[in-house]
Order: sequence, then structure tokens, then C-alpha cells
Amino acid sequence: MENDFDVQGFARDIHEVIVLSTLRAGPKHGYQIALDVEEDSNGLFRFRHGTLYPILHRLEEEGLIRGSWSSTGGRRKKVYALTSAGTRHLEGRTGRIQEITARLMQLLRGPGEAPA
Amino acid sequence: MSTAALRRFLPALRKVEGELRVPLPVRVRILHELEYDLEELRDRLAAEGLTPEEAETRALEALVPDPFAIRELGRLHTPLYGRLTRGVADHRLRLAERSALALTAAFVLLVETLALLRADLLADPSPFLWPVLGLGALLGATILGTGFELWVKGDHRVPERRLDAVVTLSMVLPVVAVGGAFIDFCRLAATLELTPDRALVLLPAWLVRDGALLAVALLFATAGAWTWFVLTRWLATVREAHREALGLDDRFPETRRVRHG
Repeated sequence: MENDFDVQGFARDIHEVIVLSTLRAGPKHGYQIALDVEEDSNGLFRFRHGTLYPILHRLEEEGLIRGSWSSTGGRRKKVYALTSAGTRHLEGRTGRIQEITARLMQLLRGPGEAPA
Repeated sequence: MSTAALRRFLPALRKVEGELRVPLPVRVRILHELEYDLEELRDRLAAEGLTPEEAETRALEALVPDPFAIRELGRLHTPLYGRLTRGVADHRLRLAERSALALTAAFVLLVETLALLRADLLADPSPFLWPVLGLGALLGATILGTGFELWVKGDHRVPERRLDAVVTLSMVLPVVAVGGAFIDFCRLAATLELTPDRALVLLPAWLVRDGALLAVALLFATAGAWTWFVLTRWLATVREAHREALGLDDRFPETRRVRHG
């Protein structure tokens, strides 16, 4: 595990992992991703002020998700789907987040207490 | 009522568009994506029991990018050229680009000359071949410069006068060549009047010389005209899509679904 802990990078990782994990269920539109994240986390995580779009576009640029356009009733819509690289990335990042949270919990409980 | 008036999120989209610093086609895609999501989210929230006004406000709050998100989108979609030259001062960059354009013109001229040399067409050229080659080089450099601005820099504010220059040069080239060939012909006729016995030597030489002149001019003119046509159509399509995304064009009333009218 990397020892240099970057808080901003961690927050970004969490957002990316949340988006990627939401797409595991299948391709979705941007608004669907935002709604599902909010509903699945009982309102704990909520994308506000369009913060979702830079995350989606960055993940798309990195090839972790694939955006495709279609047209319905003259309206253009974009759907995002998880790529195989995205699935691998999600697994890797989930493991890292687990390690960090485990270390954090250990720190919060103090040296004398046994891990949960 | 115009279709633009039925698109409730247009003011928010126009505000976002005004702040986005990305190439025009990317801007249009972002606006399409955002509008669809806003409308769908509003409808879903309304279906869950929120009033239309509440649903609209919640959708706007959730999805419309704030200045930070807009900056992030701008950073993500900045073309590679913009990222590489971010640290270079504007005046230096402009100077470098203009120098590159001048070098390109010189390079085009060199390629033209070498091609004519290889075809052995510069042994006895028409005096009008040089202005045609010069104009051709200028046309080539203008086309390459415009393509660079559009597809490398991602700058779609290409001035109309640049496109006018392409089409003007494309028209001037055959005029110069045909005029030159006519003057060459008059000179040939004058010579043949004095020395008719040289007709078998001078006539084929004139045909080759002015044939080359006309061929070079027509080649450049055709390439220029096609490029002008493609550029103007492409730019018109991009700009039309941009205007349509902002609800500034009502020529396509059937392309929008009427909602919350």
C-alpha cells in the first residue's frame, strides 16, 4: 500500500469508485447514476452542482467507462457503461479503500484495542 | 410559441455555455448531455411527488455544474496543443504560430518546385508560373493554418475572412493562369508571324509550358475550392448544432420533444 496519503486523491478515488460500482449493474445515464448513488447510499453520497460530469468525463477519457450517444424523440442522450479496464480499476481501488479505512479504524480505536 | 420557449432549462444551459472554455463540438455535446439529464431527473422527481417547480430546482441544483466543475470540464477537454503550450506567453505563441505558417508556405513552394523539376517542366517555364506557384503556396498555407486552428487548437472562431481568402485564392489562380496562357499565346503568335518556319519547335514548347501552368493552377484551384466547401459546411454544421443546443435556432421544431408546455 502507498504510504503517502493524499486526502484529495482519496476523496476523488471514492467518487470514482462510487460511480464505477453504480455502473456494475448496467449502462446508465448521468442523472440515473446521480440518483442511484443517492438512493443506494441512503442520501450519504450526493452529487451536487454538476460535480458528476467531470468525474464521468475523466473516467471516460481514461477508458474506465465508455460513453455512447443515442437519439430518442429527437433528443440526444448519453449512456455510460463500465469497461473491462474499469472493472479491474474498481477492484483495485476497492481494495485500497478497504486498507485505508481499516488503518483509520485502527488508529481511531487506539493501540490497545483489538481490531473489529 | 417557439420550441426554444418550451425548453425550460435553456437559461441554465446558456449560463454554463458562457463559462465553458472547450472546443465548440465538445461544448455542444456537454449541453446535450446536461439538458437530457436535467429533463429526465426533473420528470422522475416530479413523478415521485415533487411539484414541477421543486423538481426543476432540485434537478438544477444536482446537475448544473458550478464554477469548479466547469473549470474541471475545461481542463479535461482542452486539446493536447492547449495543454502543451499552457505555459507559453500569448504573444510568443502567436509569433511561433505565424512563423510556422510562413515556413509552411515556403515548404509548399519548395514541394511544388521540386515536383515541377522532377517532371522537367521548369526548363522553359511560363513567366506566369511563378505567381501561380506563389499563390498556390499561400493557398496551401492558409488551408493548413485553418485546419490547424480547427482541429489541433480546437478554436472554432475561424474568421470568415480566412475562408474568403481560401475561396478568393482558388478563383484568382485559374484567372491568372488563363490570362497568362493567353498572353503567352499572343507572344507566340507575334513570334510566329516573324518566323513562321519555327512553328514546329515553338508550338509544342508553348503547349507544354502553358499546359503545365494551367494544370498547376487548376490543381490548386480545385483543391482550394473543395477545401473551402468542406470547411464551410463543417463549420456551418458545428455552429448550427451550437445554436440549436442553445435554443437560438428554431428551424428544426420537430427535433425537440414538447414537454411542460
